[in-house]
Amino acid sequence: MNEKKTGYGIWMGGLGICLMGGLYTTIKLFQEGHTLFHANDVIVWSLPLSIYIFLALSSSGLAMLSALPTLFGIQRLEASSKRLVFLAMATLCGGFLAISLELGNMGKMLYFILSPNLASPIWWMGAIYTAELIFLGIKFQCLHKGQETSFSSKIAGTLSFICALLAPMILGTVFGMTEARAIYFGPMLSIFYLTMALYSGTALFILYTMVCRTLESDQPASNAPPIDAVFHRLFTYSAAAVVIITLLKTAVEWSTVVPEFVTLRSFSHPFTPLFGVPMEVVVGLFLPLILLMIRPIQKSTNGVLITALLAWIGSLAIHTRLLIAGQSYPVGPKAEHYPEVLAYLPSAWEWMVALFAISLMLLLYTLGERYLKLGSCRVDKL
Amino acid sequence: MPQYAMVIDLQRCVGCGACSIACRNENNVPDGIYWSDKMTETVGTFPDVRFHYIPTLCNHCENAPCVRGCPTGAMYKLDNGITMHDPDKCIGCKYCEFNCPYGVIYFNWQTPHPFWRETTPLIEGCTLAASEVTKKAGGNTLPYANPDREETLPGIRPKGVVEKCTFCDHRVKKNLLPYCVEACPANARIFGDISDPKSKVSKLLGKFRPFRLKEHLGTNPRVYYIRGYNPAQYEASKGDV
Repeated sequence: MNEKKTGYGIWMGGLGICLMGGLYTTIKLFQEGHTLFHANDVIVWSLPLSIYIFLALSSSGLAMLSALPTLFGIQRLEASSKRLVFLAMATLCGGFLAISLELGNMGKMLYFILSPNLASPIWWMGAIYTAELIFLGIKFQCLHKGQETSFSSKIAGTLSFICALLAPMILGTVFGMTEARAIYFGPMLSIFYLTMALYSGTALFILYTMVCRTLESDQPASNAPPIDAVFHRLFTYSAAAVVIITLLKTAVEWSTVVPEFVTLRSFSHPFTPLFGVPMEVVVGLFLPLILLMIRPIQKSTNGVLITALLAWIGSLAIHTRLLIAGQSYPVGPKAEHYPEVLAYLPSAWEWMVALFAISLMLLLYTLGERYLKLGSCRVDKL
Repeated sequence: MPQYAMVIDLQRCVGCGACSIACRNENNVPDGIYWSDKMTETVGTFPDVRFHYIPTLCNHCENAPCVRGCPTGAMYKLDNGITMHDPDKCIGCKYCEFNCPYGVIYFNWQTPHPFWRETTPLIEGCTLAASEVTKKAGGNTLPYANPDREETLPGIRPKGVVEKCTFCDHRVKKNLLPYCVEACPANARIFGDISDPKSKVSKLLGKFRPFRLKEHLGTNPRVYYIRGYNPAQYEASKGDV
């Protein structure tokens, strides 16, 4: 028992240190400004924004999964519904933290409500994600009180599912609607983000469930039961959909002569490309899909765990590369002051923001498991 | 209501950069930020080379992507067609900068004019600190700050918000020309009401074949370029195969 308490204490202590580091970073950002980031007037959005995209899309994926038992009537998944809703909320809170530290002047956020611009995709993105969080909150409250069949639970469940579908697509339009940057592929990015949401959300849930089972089980990890077949199937389908879209995007990128795409080809990848395909796509997308096809691997806990881990971390790398590659060349007169193609590596402060957001998410997961009876998994039972 | 536009005559422009310097003085523009800038290009192989110089500024587009994309309406249009920015409403999301196809919007990554905020003298007991110089000169942050700028916009914009050219709206309001137009020694910048067929800008646009930057995007910029300086001669022939 003492060992379990010590483990819990170390875990909470580690999170506490990360959160304190994040608070210190926030204060420094207020004092010195975003000059602390390795962003500039060409690469205006950097790692904190890709963390936001990553967590927000994962959250949308989790919210979609949470609709399976409550909205689509798959009763055998009901035991997972409360946890899925809570994970979606906690993940979105991490995402909101990341984007708030990307903003230069978050003290003026009140104007988001007082002076809304309904033509702005950013406004819609913020509004839909906020609505998603509120509806998920109502749904969670209903589930927590055991009122999963109540009218408000059904309405909140339906609306949160609609928001979870809309939000990734609107996030895609934030990039896809830019006149300045053709390589975000216009409306195609909305579809890409929708499939990525399901892919990363499913990966996160599988990863989380496997970690919980491993922590709970007294038996060796490899003897633990595999994840429900529905989640496994959705994971495979979403991976296949993302692979198809990625192959299509890559084919267009390499065959077009639109100047922005020609410049994109000279973008230096953070990891060595394999046969012209970025390494993060190979490791974070192609490899998980191959692993998902191999039945013996998917029958072992470690196999499932590794597949989900590769997919989830790979999603972050894919989002980061897409975000940076689209901004890597200066527009107009900025070419006078910057190189033709810019390289980017995050600063220590940007890593701190990333750590802050993920720590908040993990803290909420831990507290949720401890106090909100999300399921049988209790990290504090270690 | 007049609809303001600018014509830049590339035959008259000598690329002296006076417009950029005048703009910095008039608008208290910080280092690293360029409301008025240029694009240059060298083409050909010596001795057959040519240097192109295109002055740039906010195009005050009729269909401005920055205005459409701003979530809080901090970027907005005046009735006279000028695209303005309200730092008080700006949340610093940088979407306008990300979305501008002309690369003329900049973000204040740090508190502007850090040099003039220095409180330590360059030589202790001998020189004043930069902030003391400003104080003695009676300036606001800068010893040479232009107080007129504060009439329609914070004279010096804070960190964490974007900024860009406003066609010197504070001067236009007083029936004065934008300061880059005023300062151009070659009269290469012509400013006026494009909705008035008798205005100089309308006449020039009728007389010469103008072009605008990235017209295919449909943003309808209000900055037009005419002519091009080229003193080169060549012997007439039909080429060869």
